[in-house]
Amino acid sequence: MPRAWAAVVGAACSLATLSRTAAAQTTATVDFGISTVRYDGFLTSGAAAIAPSVRWERPNASLTAQGTYLQFESGNRSIQGNVTGSLFTAPTHRWRGQLLATAGASNYAEFTSFHHTIGEARLHRLGEGGGGGTWISGTVGRSSLGGTPRRVLGVAVAGWAQHAGIQLFASANRSVVGDTAFSDLEAAARTRRGAIVWEGYAGVRIWSRGGGRGVYGEGSATIALGNHVAVVLSGGRYPTDPVRGSISGRYAGLAVRVHSPAALRPTPRDFPLHPPSVGSSGTSDPAGRIEVLSQGDRAVRFVVRAPDAGLVEIAGDFTDWQPMALDRGSGGVWEVVVRIPKGIHRIAVRIDGGPWIAPAGARRAEDDYGGEVGIFVVP
Amino acid sequence: MKLAALFVALTLATRVAAQEPRLERLDSAARAPVAALIDSARVTGLPAEPLIQRALEGTTKGAPAGRVVAAVRRLAADLGRAREALGLSTAPLELEAGAAALRAGASPAVLTQLRRARHQPLMVPLAVLADLVASGVPPDSAAAAVLVLAGSVRDADLVEFRRAVERDIALGASPAGAATGVARDAALGVTDLNSSARTGSARPRRP
Repeated sequence: MPRAWAAVVGAACSLATLSRTAAAQTTATVDFGISTVRYDGFLTSGAAAIAPSVRWERPNASLTAQGTYLQFESGNRSIQGNVTGSLFTAPTHRWRGQLLATAGASNYAEFTSFHHTIGEARLHRLGEGGGGGTWISGTVGRSSLGGTPRRVLGVAVAGWAQHAGIQLFASANRSVVGDTAFSDLEAAARTRRGAIVWEGYAGVRIWSRGGGRGVYGEGSATIALGNHVAVVLSGGRYPTDPVRGSISGRYAGLAVRVHSPAALRPTPRDFPLHPPSVGSSGTSDPAGRIEVLSQGDRAVRFVVRAPDAGLVEIAGDFTDWQPMALDRGSGGVWEVVVRIPKGIHRIAVRIDGGPWIAPAGARRAEDDYGGEVGIFVVP
Repeated sequence: MKLAALFVALTLATRVAAQEPRLERLDSAARAPVAALIDSARVTGLPAEPLIQRALEGTTKGAPAGRVVAAVRRLAADLGRAREALGLSTAPLELEAGAAALRAGASPAVLTQLRRARHQPLMVPLAVLADLVASGVPPDSAAAAVLVLAGSVRDADLVEFRRAVERDIALGASPAGAATGVARDAALGVTDLNSSARTGSARPRRP
């Protein structure tokens, strides 16, 4: 499932080193950071963050708990938490199974609306010498918004390799959250050079229905300043995550990480925010629009831009579908004001006696007659 | 027997047409079956006006008689499904909005949930639901967002909510993310959707 890529790379490499890890160990980190974030459609904002993480690990199992507290410039805050457990089956030749379970919740400005519970089964095949491998996985779970649960399904295929001190990872997955569906192709790399751990990943979201599309990627450098302290520089762009309810955005951040000595694996980042929306300017379109004038008298003004037209007509249920000519204004604008009763109404526009079409600015719907009709509401 | 049935249909059609002169505009081949459908809807308590308008729309658009009859029949079925989901006492405007929401992709269960969640008329919430789906918001995400708001906000707020979602989508947010974010914001009361700050020259703000 989406974007716990650092954990994914780490988990893949853990698989390779399982036989060399003798006993259980517990590691912990706390990041204290500042960042600038820009969610798509919103102004850039500064934020301060505290992100603790605790990981308990045995040769065949692990349990990770992590959280993030974010305080924005506006005074709003966000809290999110996740707990993930992982259990490996005994190896059979080069095959190995893995079960993962994740539960999490997020809270923005005192209002919890997202939580999720997800289970995943992976089948690994290790490469020769343990220097790489592939896996396939299936995911099932639920994600809830405001008490309304949605089913989460996913399938993925992935491969990883280690070469010359560089860990490489690539995956392709298909996720379905309710009736939102999307596919992500991702690649990640991680290496350590001296006191610095470099990480980067890039992805593209395609075949999306409701999950957004586009290219994204993040990079970070973790600079060790001793056995217990590191500085983390990071930035990038991440996609919408329908499971956790986050929307896409960009960020750049600086954090000080305090960690236990064995905590070499970076904390997977997450962006659990659901920032408030922006104001509305209504719909507009250079080819025409309708405006519903909220003056209490249910007057609706129809405006169509058609500079070259000699006649512009509308028809709708408010005219009993009899054509009504618009008045020519200046600048190629045609308009008419009609009082329309409360309700949902259908409208079509015709220019110079041509076909009836749905005007831009109204919701378009199939009209049962092989074309489209505009739909608007008078509240 | 067939003659008797034809006689009854023609009698009904003539009676409805006499009551509804607008049907005279329909193609002669469509007039009788449409009139029969409208009469049947009236008998079962469904609103006739949307059916008349759907027939007139087809006539204005030059659709063949068979297509007009099929469109009216389909709408009557949608209105019936909407009434099943919303309840027998549902107002005609709500039924029409419910039929549009079902046609857009909302499930009958969502309509029933909306009825339980909101004690005010449902015409606007159902229209907003249909608009969101048409904007690319997946039906279940749209339903979840509207359900979050339906119990507590006014119709005007819901209209502003829909506009805010459309704006966010236009600005690049995913449809599902936009609906979720705006619904959450409005449910929190972080932003008054109906305030003047959200209209006209309103600008994006900080999270």
